[in-house]
Amino acid sequence: MIDPARATLVEAAAALVRGELTSEALTRACLERAHRLNPTLNCFLRIEDEAALAAARRADAAHAAGRPLGVLHGVPIAVKDMFYDAARETSSGSAIRRGFRSATTATALARLKAAGAVVLGALNMTEFALGPTGHNPFYGACHNPWNPAHIAGGSSSGSGAAVAARIAFGTLGSDTGGSIRLPAAANGILGLKPTYGRVPRTGAMPLSWSIDHVGPLARTAADLARLLGVLAGHDPGDPTASRRPVPDYEAALGAGIAGLRLGVPRNFFFDDVEPDVRRALDAALAVLEGAGARCVEVVVPAAEQLTELGRTVVYAEASALHGHWLRTRPQDYSPQVRARVATGVAIPAAAYAEALQLRAVLLRAFCEQVLGRCDVLLTPALAIDVPTLAATDVGGSASMWATIAQLLKCVAPFNYLGVPALSLPVGFTPRGLPAALQLVARPFAEATLLGAAAAYQRLTHWHERLPPVH
Amino acid sequence: MTDRDTVELDADLVAALARLVGYPPLDAETAARIAAGAGNAVAAVRATATVPLFDTEPGSYLVELERLADPAA
Repeated sequence: MIDPARATLVEAAAALVRGELTSEALTRACLERAHRLNPTLNCFLRIEDEAALAAARRADAAHAAGRPLGVLHGVPIAVKDMFYDAARETSSGSAIRRGFRSATTATALARLKAAGAVVLGALNMTEFALGPTGHNPFYGACHNPWNPAHIAGGSSSGSGAAVAARIAFGTLGSDTGGSIRLPAAANGILGLKPTYGRVPRTGAMPLSWSIDHVGPLARTAADLARLLGVLAGHDPGDPTASRRPVPDYEAALGAGIAGLRLGVPRNFFFDDVEPDVRRALDAALAVLEGAGARCVEVVVPAAEQLTELGRTVVYAEASALHGHWLRTRPQDYSPQVRARVATGVAIPAAAYAEALQLRAVLLRAFCEQVLGRCDVLLTPALAIDVPTLAATDVGGSASMWATIAQLLKCVAPFNYLGVPALSLPVGFTPRGLPAALQLVARPFAEATLLGAAAAYQRLTHWHERLPPVH
Repeated sequence: MTDRDTVELDADLVAALARLVGYPPLDAETAARIAAGAGNAVAAVRATATVPLFDTEPGSYLVELERLADPAA
């Protein structure tokens, strides 16, 4: 039988289709790992044994009956606890939504299930998807499998830790300021924030309807490509979802990167990179160049302002979404999240509208000045060594904004621009914690990112390394 | 440095705005955090809005995303 600790999602899916193992056996193995590791990692809010095993048995029955099988047939995955599911509660990592049950199921989750995926349970997350560390005062912090004293990143903290600890073959996350890419970077796995509108937001807990993105986390580029192929595509329930056809992402994986132009920013992104992280990033760059890619220097326009422009939009919209609860249940928020969702009260409507209007202008400038000179922009995903939970447990204190800014510096700019961005693990620092590059491309060029990541993973073995907690 | 550069939101103003929209009274620390966060955000808008947006079509962002997917755009 395939070992969940070693096999990739694509390998597991192939073994299931070939009948080399049953989904029930594989799901039981993953559930055993979930129960064994969750006391250490706290990556699951709920492990749903019965529902998962029932889904696995249905998958096995479909296989036995010779019925058509989806591309995720029988594969155990898990989802951040903010994708509504008519069959179960969705807490959004909050006290306010504890026990909430939606009448509908999120499109992204429904697509994963329709493709045959088996959902193991609901994953831990930062309260209302607002926080980069994975602390959660209501459900407890999520811990990093490479060192449980360190953060798993946020807000999709459980989504990162569950894949890294080899509990789930892939997970679903959301990203409004780095919430897929930061947990991916902290946990040594891949995370993809697709182009805004590529994956429908229907039925995903909203934080900021203009900036929210939904996307997958997994251990290999091929696994991400499989998941994105399922998740992407128009949905009438989301008016911002693109009608653009979904390409065959898996077909692009073998293209290679000979001649690919890699943009290395001269400004902002590499300014404060810690030396140990820098060494890992430089080594990764050398691997990519050795495979035929070539580096060009670029300057990212308005780089220093992009994150705050995005925040202008996020906080204005979050205050609108949370307005009723901020009036009636302010005590049910943690201090940090209350302050952040209430920040919109002090954003002038003129500034909000101007930030939205500037978005197209700055996207155009980015595509002309950066992606006119390169195919993929490279930045750190996280410029510092993955910090400890203790060092980042700042709550609503005076150091709150500085801590958030440091962690999100390199990832949040691309939420505002809406271009696709992928976090790629590229090794470890001397403390044994993951380091990661971020790859950014023009709108809807996810295949380019996945192809570059696949080329890197063919030449390296970081993604095969097991964390101490697995 | 001009007066415009030195304008900062203060916690009292934030507390007043919060009362205006019907929030329960904010404690001083929360109001100070909000003032700092909103101040940084609005300053970024001010620093970036250096071109007229009068002729920018509202909603043009999604159109631009689709258009710029084509490298020839």
